[in-house]
Amino acid sequence: MSNDTSPEPPMGSGAYDDLQTQAGEYVLGTLEAAERRAIEARLPHEPALRAAIEGWEQRLLPLTTLANPVEPGAGLWPRIAASIAPARRAQPAAAGRHWWQWDSLALWRGLAGGGFAAAAVLAAVLVVREAAAPPAPRYFVVLAAPQSQAPGWLVQAQTEGRLRLVPLGIDAVPAEKSLQFWTKADGWSAPVSLGLVKPGEAIEVPVDQLPPLQPNQLFELTLEPAGGSPIGRPTGPIQFIGRAVKI
Amino acid sequence: MLPSTLNDDAFDHDAALMACAHGDRDALRRIYERESRYLLGVALRIVRDRAAAEDVLHDAFVSIWSRASSFDASRGAGRGWIYSVVRHAALNRVRDSARETTLDEPAAAHHDTQAALAAWNTSGDELARHAALGRLGHCLDGLEPTRRSCLLYAYIDGCTHGEIAQRVQAPLGTVKAWIQRGLRALRECMQ
Repeated sequence: MSNDTSPEPPMGSGAYDDLQTQAGEYVLGTLEAAERRAIEARLPHEPALRAAIEGWEQRLLPLTTLANPVEPGAGLWPRIAASIAPARRAQPAAAGRHWWQWDSLALWRGLAGGGFAAAAVLAAVLVVREAAAPPAPRYFVVLAAPQSQAPGWLVQAQTEGRLRLVPLGIDAVPAEKSLQFWTKADGWSAPVSLGLVKPGEAIEVPVDQLPPLQPNQLFELTLEPAGGSPIGRPTGPIQFIGRAVKI
Repeated sequence: MLPSTLNDDAFDHDAALMACAHGDRDALRRIYERESRYLLGVALRIVRDRAAAEDVLHDAFVSIWSRASSFDASRGAGRGWIYSVVRHAALNRVRDSARETTLDEPAAAHHDTQAALAAWNTSGDELARHAALGRLGHCLDGLEPTRRSCLLYAYIDGCTHGEIAQRVQAPLGTVKAWIQRGLRALRECMQ
């Protein structure tokens, strides 16, 4: 998941001093634009540089109190609020509608955590579970990682017009990236976005604008730029994928 | 003169950021209501233009919202993280637009820092300064005044090496060396 490879240089060495100087100048702000970009490009791969920068941020933070406060204009918050509201953002699932019991979710997570990839087994578990707790979903989908086949998310269609996406674990998403949820049935020309998803967070998605679910309908989560795909169809790598199974 | 936000721990920035990571827009608003006037003050000193500073704050809050899930609350320091996002947004903006050095620098910005430095050198403010800056204030006190000024011009006013050289009337290479040595002295002092 992480390609952190650089070891921390020993304290007191020349390399350590260089790292501290670069980090200090970056935080202080004296670097040129190109130097700043170079530092920022190294951050994902160099934990020692990240740690040095964090140290300088904390050391120098008190200096921010030397800037006098300035009251923002009344229009600034509404502008921010508008910018954090994507047009088709999926709504977080409402609390209190626990048709899906947590004890059985724990079972799912146990299976997921073990890297257990047999959708058939998962289906059997679901059927047994749902036999005791109607109303049963009419469809379900296990979304698995394309390489390892480890299940990561579960899609439920338990009521007309709504889908529920439930995480089986918490997956890290790189900074500046978003997970986007898509579906495509046979015969559709392109996938349709069902909104953005946060790792580890269940969501409910209204799908009453879409045709009824079909057996074998494709669902996937892709890694997209922050805020979602700019062109309305998947652009990034598939993180999880699966097809609808009728039960 | 100094806002007392440092010692006021009534607001839990870490919890607010975690709530943002879970899509709680009201949590972002609480951060805004709590910090926006201080953050705008910080951004304005760096970009030196009111409209540009508000643009920086807008972009920074959108960034805080979208990156909140990458904030590691286990290490705390959420307030510092928020300030870092704003400062770097402001610094990237002025560096990317390659602000011309000194010629169009408003005199007022310079005077603000002159006043801060004058206050710094007034012994009567020493207690207040140490209350606000803590160990950092003590360590900055230990620096030679011109070198201290170089660090403050950089951090507070977002000055480039060239701008600092103009302000302290010293050659560019000398200023660069002072800053590197000043940073090293601070780090050793604060260990």
